[in-house]
Amino acid sequence: MYGGDEVSAIVIDLGSHTCKAGYAGEDAPKAVFPSVVGSIDQMEVDDAVKSERDSGTAPDSKNIVKTFDSDKTKTKRKLYVGSQALGYRRDHMEVLSPLKDGVVVDWDIVDNIWDHAFRERLLIDPKEHPMLLAEPSSNSPQQRERTAELMFEKYKVPALFLAKNAVLTSFASGRATALVVDSGGGSTTVAPVHDGYVLQKAVATSPIGGEFLTECMMKSLESKGITIKPRFSFKRKEIRQGEFQIVDLDFPNTTESYKLYSQRVIVSDIKECVCRAPDALYDETAYANVPMTSYELPDGQTLEIGADRFKIPDVLFNPSLIQIIPGMESFSESNPTIRGLPQMVIESINKCDVDIRRELFSSILLAGGTASMQQLKERLEKDLLEESPQAARVKVLASGNTTERRFSVWIGGSILASLGSFQQMWFSKAEYEEHGVSYIQRKCP
Amino acid sequence: MANSASGMAVNDDCKLKFLELKAKRNYRFIVFKIDEKIQQVMVERLGNPEESYEDFTACLPANECRYAVFDFDFTTDENCQKSKIFFIAWSPDTSKVRSKMLYASSKDRFKRELDGIQVELQATDPSEMSMDIIKGRAI
Repeated sequence: MYGGDEVSAIVIDLGSHTCKAGYAGEDAPKAVFPSVVGSIDQMEVDDAVKSERDSGTAPDSKNIVKTFDSDKTKTKRKLYVGSQALGYRRDHMEVLSPLKDGVVVDWDIVDNIWDHAFRERLLIDPKEHPMLLAEPSSNSPQQRERTAELMFEKYKVPALFLAKNAVLTSFASGRATALVVDSGGGSTTVAPVHDGYVLQKAVATSPIGGEFLTECMMKSLESKGITIKPRFSFKRKEIRQGEFQIVDLDFPNTTESYKLYSQRVIVSDIKECVCRAPDALYDETAYANVPMTSYELPDGQTLEIGADRFKIPDVLFNPSLIQIIPGMESFSESNPTIRGLPQMVIESINKCDVDIRRELFSSILLAGGTASMQQLKERLEKDLLEESPQAARVKVLASGNTTERRFSVWIGGSILASLGSFQQMWFSKAEYEEHGVSYIQRKCP
Repeated sequence: MANSASGMAVNDDCKLKFLELKAKRNYRFIVFKIDEKIQQVMVERLGNPEESYEDFTACLPANECRYAVFDFDFTTDENCQKSKIFFIAWSPDTSKVRSKMLYASSKDRFKRELDGIQVELQATDPSEMSMDIIKGRAI
């Protein structure tokens, strides 16, 4: 049991696109930054410098521990975390993600992201605060133990709790039973929650999330001959009032992944500004004459976006559309089993016990950034009404407030961790020391 | 039992009054409330056996969450007098997120304490617990 009522807990939701971190009890996360990091291999650059340091100034090494901590593991590299560090272009800097399909593949990066959140954004000492981490619904026992180990051993946290994304979203909407449709950056997950437990066997996931749609949008723009200039590749000079001149800059040492990252930042903004889910199945001919919407790129070019406004979001509902997006054809060949959102919902519900299906149909919750797309809720509800059994009362719910929708997982965690009665639920350091790491599976099933 | 639950305790009175409702049929309904200060689920209101379903719904606040138990009498198609005990988690959309979280995360534990619930319902607006729905679920 952990009785730290006075010290506020820290809540972290590390998503595939953004990391949300902040103090429990607050309405929104204090720190929101990209989950990807910049990485520069240090091998060739500082080998000489490093050997000098190693031999000469061993006692001083404490000062540089932070930088070299990450270097100790297999590769020697320096990581740049946070929107600012990533916003600045550096030679040879690659952009890496710690997650693949929602699961951690690079713990070193995760470690750096946590460190950044604690020490640079929240300015706290992790030794003093219990941590509540949101985890994907289908996290493996090994992943959870690894998380607990890192938290207790490296950060020496006094207490820890792992809560499932879907459960937090469901609770935050006042339901212990719900079907949570979480469409985030890297993937879309449909997870049924019953009495506060995720029904693992019925969880459905698809790799189509916000980033995939961004990719489709970019390919589609490229096929029309539009190139998105990354922000670092030009300078905008005001030659006369209101008139700008664009000067291209050349940085030959920029990595391909960084260029792509910077382009995606822009395209993702285009997507968020203009896209909306079409009312019914996308049809090339019907949308051929939709009015154009304009969008001004950072370099001053103006784009006119027509049918793509509807076509791109419809990929979520109807993945076979991918075949008619130029440059994306290969994707559908390698992933033939991807289903649209309504099918995922119905399949997931049908895998659950008959007794709770009705309840799930009437409480479908939307969460995540991509699910905040305009008209997505209405469209999903309409598609489900057509395809669900007649007796079912379909109700798709989403918080009216975009902040709440985007951060529903974090907000759920924030409230849970701040409840007075929750304080006895923590997996404490003492328990970790007594029972070992596998005890996490019992404390936070 | 340690799931992502709030760890809320249940006042003994809840169980006692529920038993009376179930065995002696002393009450038509019971409304429960979470008292955050003492971290317990408490009995807020008891309904007499004569009170109707409308009287019961009128006891649920429009902007706050509650748990409730209702003893529903009905007649089946075969003219058989029956009754079923409903558990209702009332969590209106307009209530505060904190309150929704509190009630949702404490529900599983609380429900386990009340042995004999036959039908369970979660409602976020009055239409989700209308008489039609209650009837539909009872039969």
